[in-house]
Parts: sequence; C-alpha cells; structure tokens
Amino acid sequence: MPTTIDPVTPPISEPAASRTRVAVSVKNLSKRFRVRRPFIETLRHPFDQKYMQALNDVNVDIHEGEFFGFLGANGAGKTTLFKTLATLVSPDQGTVIVDGFDVTTHAADVRRVLTPVIADERSLRWRLSARENLRLYAVLYGLPARKVAARVDEVLEIVGLDPADDKLAGRFSSGMRQRLLIGRALIPQPRILLLDEPTRSLDPVSARTLRAFLREEICKRLGCTILLATHTSEEAFELCDRVAILNQGRQLAIGPADKLQLEFGEDHYLLRTRTADHPAFDLLARRAVIGQPVIRGIDDEGWVRMEVAIPGGPDTAAAALQQLVQQGVSVARFERVELSLGELIQRVITRKAGGRRE
Amino acid sequence: MSRALAIVRANWLTALSYRLETMFSFLGLFIAVVPLYFISHALQPMMANSIKAEAPEYFGFLIVGWIGLSFVNTAVTALHGALSGEISTGSFEALLSTPTPVPALLAGLLGHALTMNVIRATVILSFATMFGLHIVWSSALTGLGILFLILLSYLPFGIAAAALVLGFRTTGPFPAIVFAGSALLGGVYYPTQVIPSWLAKMSVLVPLRYGLKSLRRTWLDGAPLSASFADLGVLVGMILVGFVLSLSAFTLALRYAKRAGTLAQY
Repeated sequence: MPTTIDPVTPPISEPAASRTRVAVSVKNLSKRFRVRRPFIETLRHPFDQKYMQALNDVNVDIHEGEFFGFLGANGAGKTTLFKTLATLVSPDQGTVIVDGFDVTTHAADVRRVLTPVIADERSLRWRLSARENLRLYAVLYGLPARKVAARVDEVLEIVGLDPADDKLAGRFSSGMRQRLLIGRALIPQPRILLLDEPTRSLDPVSARTLRAFLREEICKRLGCTILLATHTSEEAFELCDRVAILNQGRQLAIGPADKLQLEFGEDHYLLRTRTADHPAFDLLARRAVIGQPVIRGIDDEGWVRMEVAIPGGPDTAAAALQQLVQQGVSVARFERVELSLGELIQRVITRKAGGRRE
Repeated sequence: MSRALAIVRANWLTALSYRLETMFSFLGLFIAVVPLYFISHALQPMMANSIKAEAPEYFGFLIVGWIGLSFVNTAVTALHGALSGEISTGSFEALLSTPTPVPALLAGLLGHALTMNVIRATVILSFATMFGLHIVWSSALTGLGILFLILLSYLPFGIAAAALVLGFRTTGPFPAIVFAGSALLGGVYYPTQVIPSWLAKMSVLVPLRYGLKSLRRTWLDGAPLSASFADLGVLVGMILVGFVLSLSAFTLALRYAKRAGTLAQY
C-alpha cells in the first residue's frame, strides 16, 4: 500500500460540507501493457511475452470540487490512469468509479460527466475556426441544436477566445490552442475535467497565465473537479489541493500539497556565507541541530553557496540560523530548497524504505 | 444522426478550405470522361453483342460501371483512411471521449467521402450526357437507391479494414484485393459472362456484379425495380451478413485497442 499521509483529508480550499462526495474513486487499479519485442526474438520465442507494469495497485478517492494532481516523471503511469478514467483504456484489475459509474460497464455515462482535455494540439481541426471546432463537439456531446450556439459563445468567453472566434485554429498561438482544447472539453459542462500536462508546450509566461486561469476560472468559478497530471512539482504544489506521487506505476504518496511539500522538502536549506569554514557549522552538526553542510559553489564576489539539512520544520530552521549568526557566521541569504521531482521521488522512496526497516 | 452530420459538416468545411484541390478534382473527372468516350466507341462493334443484355451502348456500360466502382472504392477505402487520419492526429481519441455511439462516428467519418462521391457521380453523368450518354432520368432516383445498396454491400469490407487499422495499424493488401477483385469480376469493364468459366464461378461472390446489373437495367434501359428483385435480394443478403461480421470485428478490434492501450497510437 502507498504511503498515505492523510487519505481522507478534504481539499483545503473547499468548505467542509462540500467535501464529502467522492467524484472519482480508484481502487486497486492495475494495468500492464505487452512490450513489443524485436522481430528475431519473436521468431525464436513466439510464445514468450514481456509486460510493462503501467499501473500497480493505485488507490485514490477524489472529492467533488477538488483540484487534484498526479505528479510523476515520464512513464510514471499518469497518462494510463487518465486514459482509464476517460474509458479509452480498459483496466486489468481493480475498479474505477466516476460520479457513481463504473468505467468498464457504464462507459457512456462516464463520458457524460468526465471529459479529458486531449493536450495534443493536432487533435483540433486546424482548418476550422475556433467556433466551428467547438460547434462540432457541442453536437457530439449531445447538446440540443437550439442550445449549441449559445453554449459555444459562453465557452469562447470563458476561455477568452471570443475576440478570435472566427480565426482558424491553425493560426492560433500554442497558448490559444491550449485554451481552445480546454474550451472543447468544457462544452458539455463536465463535472470532472482531466488535464494531462497542459502547460508542456507553453513558454513560462503563458504557462503561468494558464495555471491562474485553471485555478480561478475552471476550478473556483465553474466548480469543476480537476485532475491534473504533471511532471512539474512546482505546478502540482502551486495548483493542487492534494497530490498523489506516482513512480513506475506505483502510488508512492498521497496527501495535501502543502503537507507533502513540508514532509518531504522541509529540511533542506540553501545559505550564502563568506565563512564556510566557520567552526559553528561543525559544532551545530555535532549537536545534530543541522546536518553536514554541502558546498554547492562560490560566486564571483566570494560568497559560498551551501546546502544544509535542518530537520524539524521552519521554527527549528529559524533557531539554527539565529545560532549561526550569533556565533559570527555571516549569512547573506537563507532559503528553503525547492525540490526537483527526481529528488522528491527519491526522498519518498527513501522514507518508505526507512519506514519498512523500522 | 445529428452527430454523424456534424462530423460530415466539419469534414466538408475542411475540404472546402482547400479550394484549388476541390476544383482540380472535378476538372479531372471531365478529362477522364473524354478518353472513355473514344475508347468505348472504338470497342463498340466488338462489345455490342456481349453487353446487349445490360446496356444498348458500350459507353453507357462503362460509365455506369465506373460510377459503381467509385462507390466500391469509397466504401472500402474511405473509412480506414479517415480513421488513420483521425488516429494519427489524436482526434480519434477526442471523438471517442464524447458519448457519441461508435456507429454514428463511423457514419460521420464516411459521410464526407460519400457525399463527395455522389457529387462526382452526378458530374460524371452530366459530362457523359454531354457526350451522348442516354440515361432514363425518370429512373435516376431508383438508380441512386441501387448505388446506395452497392455502397452498403461493400461497407462491411470498409469496416473490416478499419478494424484492421485499429488492431494492427495496417490494412495490409485487404482493401486492394477487394477493390481489384470487384473491378475484375464485378462486370465493370466487361460483362461477367465473358469471364472464363472458372473465374465466373468466383464472381457470384462479388456484390458489385449484382448491383451493376440492376443499375444498368434501371438507368440505361429504364426497367422497373421489380426486374432486379432477384439480384437486389442477393445484395441485401450480402449486406446483412457482411454488417453482422464486420461490426463484430470492429467491436473486437476496439476492445483489443483499449486493452492494449493503442487506441491513439500510430
């Protein structure tokens, strides 16, 4: 079973009363794919099969109105999980319930309440205008003919493409196309929206704008439950109420984003000092107040960048800093290290292994 | 129905945005009718006796055969072609994410090619009429109905080819075999009775043979529909069997692609 920090804690931004209903429930979900073998090997051993485990016993309950993130590197199983939720991949084991409907037996009902944002820009019809793209999907989602035009106008306004409604999708910028893809998924007023790495092809400014749009417009204003797959820990922790960390198909951890960040990323700090060889560092390390400092580099002005582990949270870190300064260490900068995804996953794995040994 | 029409409309608008290509495709039809006219007139004395049961003139025989074959081509190749395109762009996944039933999606994907083919057939008939083709225009709609049956009788092959694309990402030579077999044994360029007897036995399995006989009788001789009941009965039987088998194959292929996770991979 994965490390569960707090599996029943509801989304932080939602009031308690609205947090009880489960929108998506995944129980013991496993999926493996057959690996394509070289031709010669297939001829020599025609009946042998190799498999790649894409999902391995994944368990998660996502509440209505929650912004939930699946964080993992490439090949972690995020996309397979999303495709299973969208009824595009059938599970090998386990159950997936979306808004009360089983994805295997009630696929059509699932598709009425959950829409994936297919992030591939090519899935748009480039020779059609934004309006025509949305109009097509309005009909495919079964909107009555008399409501199609009004809904298309509404969605164009929500995604901010109303001034460019008659422009061909092929002439849009990447950011506009991402908005159009999101707009396409919003057409049926879905209760649940799947976003698979929506900012991967965007520049940092467009990515930040899109994140704000997702959080404020889609989640808060429209009340959609959003499931986000990302390999950027910054994106997951910034946007999501709760995050599940996936690695090679396994769910390593799940919990509120800020708690996860605190739990696995709190104890490493970066400081700039001119006195890296000051005896205060050794003294505090011997007392186990801080870990052994690691020098990361020296800048042009002679300031040394050091990384040091200070377990115990921000208060302990503040006290340690105070002791260093009192003993004469010159500190120009002191900040918590933002973890990369790789480091985060490594820490979760190490923590789990430690837990097992205990 | 409205969902299929929405896809047809979108494909239609996309095709029309390539104006020059659309224009040239119709111009090409005119150019193709001209040599057909001269060749058929050169061969008329030789063919007159063998085609008399189906058409008074070889030019008309060829034109109707050509139109019938174009519907076979649409039925066999359009669906897997459209499906391949949708899969490679990722839009098939987007289409399958909607609650649209699969038959409606298939009808939508086929619809544009079919509409274009109906227009092309009309243009060919118009050009051919300018060159002296005699059509019984009062039977035009009945003939269209027969063309629709020809299309339906070949659609199972198209659905089976689409199933192959879903399952294996290739149709192999399957559509080419069906098309070439129908062109050779279906009575497109010559009546089936001139085929060697051992090949003629195989031609009883070719739906186009029955469709073209009925179509020529209707359009070129003005025969009533009742004169073609026997041929059309065989065609309807083939349609029913073909649809049951091909839709089962497509359902299996879709299930396999979902299990293998290859629905959106090309």
